[in-house]
Amino acid sequence: MHRLKVISGHLSHRRDLRRSDCGARAAASRGSEDVVVVHGRRSAIGKARRGGFKDTTPDELLAAVMAAVLADVGLSADKLGDVCVGNVLQPGAGAVMSRVAQFLSGFPETVPVYAVNRQCSSGLQALLNVAGSIRSGSIELGLACGVESMSLRPATKPGDLSSRLLDHHRARDCLIPMGITSENVAERFGVSREKQDAFALTSHIKAARAQSSGLFDQEIVPVTTRLVDDAGSERQVTVRQDEGIRPGTTLEGLAKLKPAFKADGSTTAGNASQVSDGAAAVLLGRRAAVEALGLPVLGVLRASAVVGVPPDVMGVGPAFAIPAALEQAGLTVADIDVFEINEAFASQAVYCVEKLGIPLEKVNPNGGAIALGHPLGCTGARQVVTLLNELRRRGRRGFGVVSMCIGTRMGAAAVFEYPGPL
Amino acid sequence: MMTKVFRSPARHGYAVEVSPFVPSRVACAAAQYYGIAGCGTLLVLDQTETGICLVTSWQWGDGLFDVAWSEANEHVLVAGGGDGSLQLWDTANHSAPLREAREHRQEVYSVDWSQTRGENLIVSGSWDHTAKVWDPSLSSSLTTLRGHEGVIYSTVWSPHIPGCFASASGDGTLRVWDVKSAACRLAVPAHRAEVLSCDWCKYDQNLLATGSVDCSACVWDLRNVRQPVNQLLGHTYAIRRLKFSPFSKTLLASCSYDFSVRFWDFSRNQPLLDTVEHHSEFVCGLDFNLHIPNQVVDCSWDETVKIYTPGCLSAGPHGTGL
Repeated sequence: MHRLKVISGHLSHRRDLRRSDCGARAAASRGSEDVVVVHGRRSAIGKARRGGFKDTTPDELLAAVMAAVLADVGLSADKLGDVCVGNVLQPGAGAVMSRVAQFLSGFPETVPVYAVNRQCSSGLQALLNVAGSIRSGSIELGLACGVESMSLRPATKPGDLSSRLLDHHRARDCLIPMGITSENVAERFGVSREKQDAFALTSHIKAARAQSSGLFDQEIVPVTTRLVDDAGSERQVTVRQDEGIRPGTTLEGLAKLKPAFKADGSTTAGNASQVSDGAAAVLLGRRAAVEALGLPVLGVLRASAVVGVPPDVMGVGPAFAIPAALEQAGLTVADIDVFEINEAFASQAVYCVEKLGIPLEKVNPNGGAIALGHPLGCTGARQVVTLLNELRRRGRRGFGVVSMCIGTRMGAAAVFEYPGPL
Repeated sequence: MMTKVFRSPARHGYAVEVSPFVPSRVACAAAQYYGIAGCGTLLVLDQTETGICLVTSWQWGDGLFDVAWSEANEHVLVAGGGDGSLQLWDTANHSAPLREAREHRQEVYSVDWSQTRGENLIVSGSWDHTAKVWDPSLSSSLTTLRGHEGVIYSTVWSPHIPGCFASASGDGTLRVWDVKSAACRLAVPAHRAEVLSCDWCKYDQNLLATGSVDCSACVWDLRNVRQPVNQLLGHTYAIRRLKFSPFSKTLLASCSYDFSVRFWDFSRNQPLLDTVEHHSEFVCGLDFNLHIPNQVVDCSWDETVKIYTPGCLSAGPHGTGL
């Protein structure tokens, strides 16, 4: 059987990387310079003003997840080259709050910390900033976080702006309320109320299933805190579960809700993201340093992009940012196993998913912000944690994308690879 | 992407070639039992508006591994077989080959018909480590070229230089031969694994590509072969065959044991243009249509021949407008 032997010889080599290594940047896989995710945790997401975190300051939420991430992997905080915290609503993006959180979590004073605000993508931007510091050679290991207490800090006025913004329609459009941009997307791209409600329903169904089967248990850090109940008495609670998920949601129920932003509109409280409190933290490092310390590799950051979009339809952001990030990674939509696309509004999420031709079963398999909530600065980091845990559960090498639209009228996306079990 | 499909039950495709005379006509060399044992079949197919129909077919006592159309007579083709034979077939003659030549002592894995002006020669490559050059009547070989230290998988005439062909071998080298002097002009240690395929660029006489068991394709400039001009990574198993586009200088296609066909523009930073995964077995045969820009034919061990225009070529810089 000479022929069999010869042809068997043709199969003697196999390139380990399926898909990613298509002559693209992703080809540089397993490089010692790779920026890798070691571990990530998040708090439960609380209902703003009514939930378990309504009286909890963001530094407490942040301290809980920061400490948990390092404790889980047994890393001493003095190994951290930097800590970056994404936050939107605190004054100055919570720079002081972040430094306080560092001490509450027991990190030494020598570890530096700073805050970043790119609105809804702040948690992801924190991760990209830390990745950038690793790539530039400034640091070896860093902690990227995101936190928001929407209970204590409702969205504020935009600040001091030139009156000349009225002369420039793009600048003026930046003041359009988020809800109206959602109505604009729905109208302009024909996303019906029915489609939005159906999308919202699946978000709740998927999140409820994930919660009841305990999928979130390994990523959520239980946080013990104090809250003041309706009777005015303070008591201690431990928050372990996301509070926004409504397993009993029905299409009929969603259809009854009145438009929230415009009398004849289609965006309702039921098909928009919830106002929430929460925090998440992700440990990143250069692969060489991570391996030298014997730390695990949960994911590899393969590419990222932030793209500006027309301000009056800011929700289209992911439809622009995802292709940009995928192209950088040398991947296509078909190569991606899971998309975590933030559900700011069902209108924009549906538009982006349809525009990019993403099969629905790949989108937010464990629900999104409509069910879980959208604590602005936390969301990006929370999505990374949820994504990588989902890819790990699937048990084989895979790719995932985290993306969101941004209140300052942009889209952000990042591509991660789960390298597979050891 | 519309794909026309021809099914050849119990016949596993090894090679396809589009007729240089008839735009709709394709020949396919196939073998029973994956070419490991059993007989072979040579298929002549025509594509219609909606599909592919059989024009004629011949059976052979051993698997057929490669086929080439005559560059001089639109009815004539040559095939190479597992029994070491070359056969000359005529679509106007339905029973037996016009001629059969048995000189190779082992499997013939490649045949090619020269296309430079004023020359009409056949070259064959065999697992007996030799390449042979034949006159178009296959009466007897004109010359036998020795030098490869492994089996020969691929022999392809230069479209520019008369009497010159390239060969790819299991010894890891690409060689360029001069038939007049019956000598190897150049031996390139192209891969650290078996080289299964090679092809010439149709627009630059110095450019060649190789495809290897190491899953990579390399583009070579014969004026400096110390390192490849480009290395194309993406296939996850050996590249079985590759072809340069007849229409675009920097475009090539490769098919692989990873079941895929990939399209590359080696002038680009990210050379991979498209991955076509429409087969469920090894893809062994591949050709561009010379007449219909961007149309591609391939065949696989999944018993199908497919004709299609890949998405990456149906629009953009590689579109028909060129």
